[in-house]
Amino acid sequence: MFEPQTMSKLLIAASKDQLEAVVRELYRHNLFHIEDFVESDAQGLEGCKIGMPLPGASESSSDLVRIRSIENTYGVSSKGMDTDERKMPTSEVRQRIERELQAIEDEAAGFADEKITLENTIRDYETRITELKPYTLFPANLADLKGFENFVVLAGLVPAHVSLSVPNEMFITAYEKSNLLIAVVPRENAEEAEKDLFEAGFQPIPVPDENGTAGERTVWYTHEITRLEGDLKVVSGRISAQKEKNATFLVACDELLTAEVERAEAPLRFATTEETFVAEGWVPADMVAALTSDLQSATGGKVFVSEVEFDPIEEAVPVEYHNPDFSKPTEMLMDIYSRPQYGEFDPTILVSIVFPIFFGFILGDVGYGIILLALGYYLRKFLKDDAGQKLLDVFRNASISSIIFGLIYSECLGFALPWSPIGINRHLNIGSHASGHGPDAVLMLVLTAWIGILHITLGRMLHMYNAANMMKPGRHRSKVIFGQLGWILVMWGILLMLWSLFEMPLMPVLAGYPAVFVGINGFGVAGAVLLLVGIIGIGQDSMLELMELPTVISHVLSYTRLAAVGLSSVAIAMVTNYIAIELIIEPQLANLSIIGIVIILIGIVIFLIGHILNTALGIMGGGLHSIRLHYVEFFTKFYKGGGKKYEPFGKLRKFTED
Amino acid sequence: MAVETMTIEVAQASAIGFKAIGAGLAVGLAGMGTGLAQLGIGGAAVGATAENKEMFGLALLFTVIPETVVIFGLVIALLLLF
Repeated sequence: MFEPQTMSKLLIAASKDQLEAVVRELYRHNLFHIEDFVESDAQGLEGCKIGMPLPGASESSSDLVRIRSIENTYGVSSKGMDTDERKMPTSEVRQRIERELQAIEDEAAGFADEKITLENTIRDYETRITELKPYTLFPANLADLKGFENFVVLAGLVPAHVSLSVPNEMFITAYEKSNLLIAVVPRENAEEAEKDLFEAGFQPIPVPDENGTAGERTVWYTHEITRLEGDLKVVSGRISAQKEKNATFLVACDELLTAEVERAEAPLRFATTEETFVAEGWVPADMVAALTSDLQSATGGKVFVSEVEFDPIEEAVPVEYHNPDFSKPTEMLMDIYSRPQYGEFDPTILVSIVFPIFFGFILGDVGYGIILLALGYYLRKFLKDDAGQKLLDVFRNASISSIIFGLIYSECLGFALPWSPIGINRHLNIGSHASGHGPDAVLMLVLTAWIGILHITLGRMLHMYNAANMMKPGRHRSKVIFGQLGWILVMWGILLMLWSLFEMPLMPVLAGYPAVFVGINGFGVAGAVLLLVGIIGIGQDSMLELMELPTVISHVLSYTRLAAVGLSSVAIAMVTNYIAIELIIEPQLANLSIIGIVIILIGIVIFLIGHILNTALGIMGGGLHSIRLHYVEFFTKFYKGGGKKYEPFGKLRKFTED
Repeated sequence: MAVETMTIEVAQASAIGFKAIGAGLAVGLAGMGTGLAQLGIGGAAVGATAENKEMFGLALLFTVIPETVVIFGLVIALLLLF
């Protein structure tokens, strides 16, 4: 908790005849994050070479390519498959690869060919229809325009009627915004005729190679296309039938062969000598014992596994989160920003608690909360990958928080619930039900400023904690710690001074005490001293940081968005209700008529559009602003991030088993 | 006398009206400022994300930084109105 998983660095050495057994065992455990061996940078392993792939790698990869091509034809993907089906034993998969793969491949290739041929023919016919289109106005057989010895046929579009200076036979008719012209002239006059025509802006169109009138041919081609589309549907139907039949087998093959290829290529990441190999990598500290004993038993004790000392600050240790289940989905929000460094304070748990609270504070509305909850469950069908599921879990928590805050605020789609708001009133004076003093805007602004003050103070304290933990003891570390303390002092110093001057709701009242120095009372003077000490603290860390002093105020005020964005969302909801119900629907309900019913329907549409828009804005407002307060205002105070992702060698098998 | 009471009422009504205008200006102008600032950042952020998806988090962060300006406008408007 609050820190990434503790890692151990392992060195696994054995003779080469144990290579396959070791790789297999490592893959099965899915725990060992391999540190790639680089020949040019081989500390302690000078003279070692990169290993060679295990035998069988190329066969497996070529089989895998075949499988992937079939999967492509059938549109099969392991991502879209449910995992709860029966797992296939690897021996069965192997047998079936031997026995059936060729047949399945031929069949898939056949389908692919058939489909492509049909699609190409349809496309070809469609082009022909387009080519025939201008000639549909020409009533005679198109074949009659071809094959003359002594005559030339000139066909195309002209902007206006034209008369030729040579003897000719001409057909001209209006076509779209131009004119279709077909002229037959004696071959010896062809050049002159062409000249005349081009001067008149003639654009030739080739006469299609068809026997029959353009109209007849177009009808024929349209019929053909309909027939071929029917065929295509049949083929697609057969493809999806085969997909149903083979999908499980294909994903099982894919998984098995991918595993084989990955295993076979693992030695490329190891250091090897003539007879031995060394694999270096990372394992979660609590799994070292189990992995070591399993490696020992898999190789009959012929492997040497040792834990190596490492410097957590200098070395790029892969980072795996270590959080309670409740906070796991929020890791996705952390990954979007940056994974924590090894040994750094991991704020995932804080985010997983504070983010939904911020979301609910902004979008506190029972109706919207329930809509978002339903939307989240609906989207689960489509977002099946890990990141998508995590996102939806975060979304679910936020929606529940929104419902809870909705109960507190007494709001449901902008309407009041049958009880008064508890503590904070956000009801605006809109519409005829308007009564009371309007929303507690000032109260909310001060409350959110308090949230900001505490959140930022916490952030600064975490920076001090990180510095104490991750930096080497010395002058530099104390400078950083005092610098952060300086920021906290500046903020609270300013607060003390404000309290000593003004009375504010929800804030301690320190005004009204006797002045001790130029009209400022004792608390004000104390605040000024804190401010001064704080500035010195920041300055001794870095003079440049002093330029950032205004952020003390602007970052705290930034938290007031929690109040402001929330109130604007309430306003939109209430205005939508006012327009749709009080202005449009209610007057019509008073004396119903046919037109009245239509107007009522329009009112309902406006009601729906308004609330759909506000739901979308609510997701944006509630989600983006809450996460932004974390990313910009909170994380910038202490969080570095940039940790390397822990990617263990191996894979959890979903479709096959030994 | 009647004219005078009217004048006070008119003045009070105007005061409320001017407050509303002020609130509108605060949100509107601040929004324009934010929009102008996000114009460049947003374009660059989309470009960077298209090049490298890992940039998304950072790009989002940069894009929302000027949003603070419009929030200040909104806060001022709320303080004016209530």
